[in-house]
Amino acid sequence: MIEIKNLTKKFDDKEILSGINLTVKQGEKVVIIGSSGSGKSTLLRCINQLEIPTSGEVWFGNYLLTDVDPYLHEEIIKTSKTFQKLINKNSLDESQAIEAIQAQKLLKHQEGKEFKKAVKAYQEKYHIGIDQARQKIGMCFQHFNLFNNLTVMDNLILAPVELKMMTKEEAVSKASELLKRIGLYDKKDAYPSKLSGGQKQRIAIVRSLCMNPSVMLFDEPTSALDPEMVGEVLELMKELATMGMTMVVVTHEMRFAKEIANRIIFMDEGKILEEGTPQEIFNNPKNPRTKDFLSKVL
Amino acid sequence: MNLFKDIYKILATPELRNYLLEGFKNTLAVTLIAAGIGLVLGFTVAIVKIFAMDNRKLKPFAVIGNIYTTVIRGTPITLQLFIMVFAILAIPGFKVTAVILTFGINSGAYVSENIRAGILSVDKGQMEAGRSLGLSKYKTMTKIIMPQAIKNVIPAIGNEFIALLKETAIVSIVGSTVGTLTFDLNQATSTINKTIANYLAPAVLAAGLYLGIVYGITLLIKKFEKRLRASDRN
Repeated sequence: MIEIKNLTKKFDDKEILSGINLTVKQGEKVVIIGSSGSGKSTLLRCINQLEIPTSGEVWFGNYLLTDVDPYLHEEIIKTSKTFQKLINKNSLDESQAIEAIQAQKLLKHQEGKEFKKAVKAYQEKYHIGIDQARQKIGMCFQHFNLFNNLTVMDNLILAPVELKMMTKEEAVSKASELLKRIGLYDKKDAYPSKLSGGQKQRIAIVRSLCMNPSVMLFDEPTSALDPEMVGEVLELMKELATMGMTMVVVTHEMRFAKEIANRIIFMDEGKILEEGTPQEIFNNPKNPRTKDFLSKVL
Repeated sequence: MNLFKDIYKILATPELRNYLLEGFKNTLAVTLIAAGIGLVLGFTVAIVKIFAMDNRKLKPFAVIGNIYTTVIRGTPITLQLFIMVFAILAIPGFKVTAVILTFGINSGAYVSENIRAGILSVDKGQMEAGRSLGLSKYKTMTKIIMPQAIKNVIPAIGNEFIALLKETAIVSIVGSTVGTLTFDLNQATSTINKTIANYLAPAVLAAGLYLGIVYGITLLIKKFEKRLRASDRN
């Protein structure tokens, strides 16, 4: 469902993510843990392109969300001038040349017409407009980000109606149903400023659900909440998980992670240091950094 | 007291009273038209500057916008008025247009900075939330960001409007009359002076009128603001 290939992200010269590879299958619940500054939020935001990756590719099903990263495609590398030069002048064979180019990042700004054409053709074949992809990728933020100028109901129906996915009546009935399910139907005409943090976050989750997403991303959804409100949000997320939603969650709630995750990913300094089932990670961590981190948070 | 006698005399003499009323009317007219120009201009410049932040094609327009705000805000309006009326638009019969345009262009520079600040003051998360739902940047801007920005900006725009209204008083420096119009309250005042040889009474009357308008505008803005803030209190 989501495939991240050799993703890097630099802010100025600082490398936040270095060479992340990650695949999330349909229905899988992946929880990303790690200390702050480890790049886990940035990774999540790279999935729906709120941060544009510096290199690497993000795939959503059969669609490419990022630009083509030529280093990932041998057939594109083969059209480059550098490749021809390595073969002709340095008399490497094809696989050596490709390896050298990939390892040392030898591609230059100008690699000739053929190369440009190959990149463009690939891009046209697989790339999908990001706005279109985002309709199917729900996202929940640490600070909820409900639209302050709209009532709860209008928050929920704005996107489906504006994007012509539903008529207004359909959207209202869907939103009402979801609001009733989380017990906040009586707040439908309230503005966000009148809601508690827990209510806001649950409505933010429901806002994403109104789009019928095929995957949900959660960026520390409980970090900004008062302790007594964390439970209600986690409860809703658990319900989503049991309904079979594909989820990628960045969180500090280790107990929650243990409960819902199929796979835990431990990140540190922009790299995935360890991944495995909750049992493997929590009971038997292999990497010393993972051990160190878990000893502090558990 | 003489002052009250003079004020009474001005108000009681139709000819003198008409000067004041005419000035009152013209002041409002110039302010309103100039404010309209300023709003449209300021809004456009602000939007261009905001969108140019991540759109290379708009960069040159943003540079023009920056030059505009820098020059206009960096020079006295008195000079701008002189240059516009006696050089750039020194065409007979265009004095009124030149004056109104000057005020509009001047006001636009300040308004654009107010609106820009208002847009930037809206939490970044609002745009991210809109985009993450698949809404385009333009849609998020018009449905989410602008309504919140405008609410934030109303007091500043109100101040700008009041400042503009009072600034129109300097029209008198580019000529005693503009066409057949007696152009603003001050203008009317100085005309009245010639008739009654007392500076205080017309000045006090004019000041009273200015104060009245400004106070009225302040009340209107407050009311408007209160309505827009409904979503905060509910």
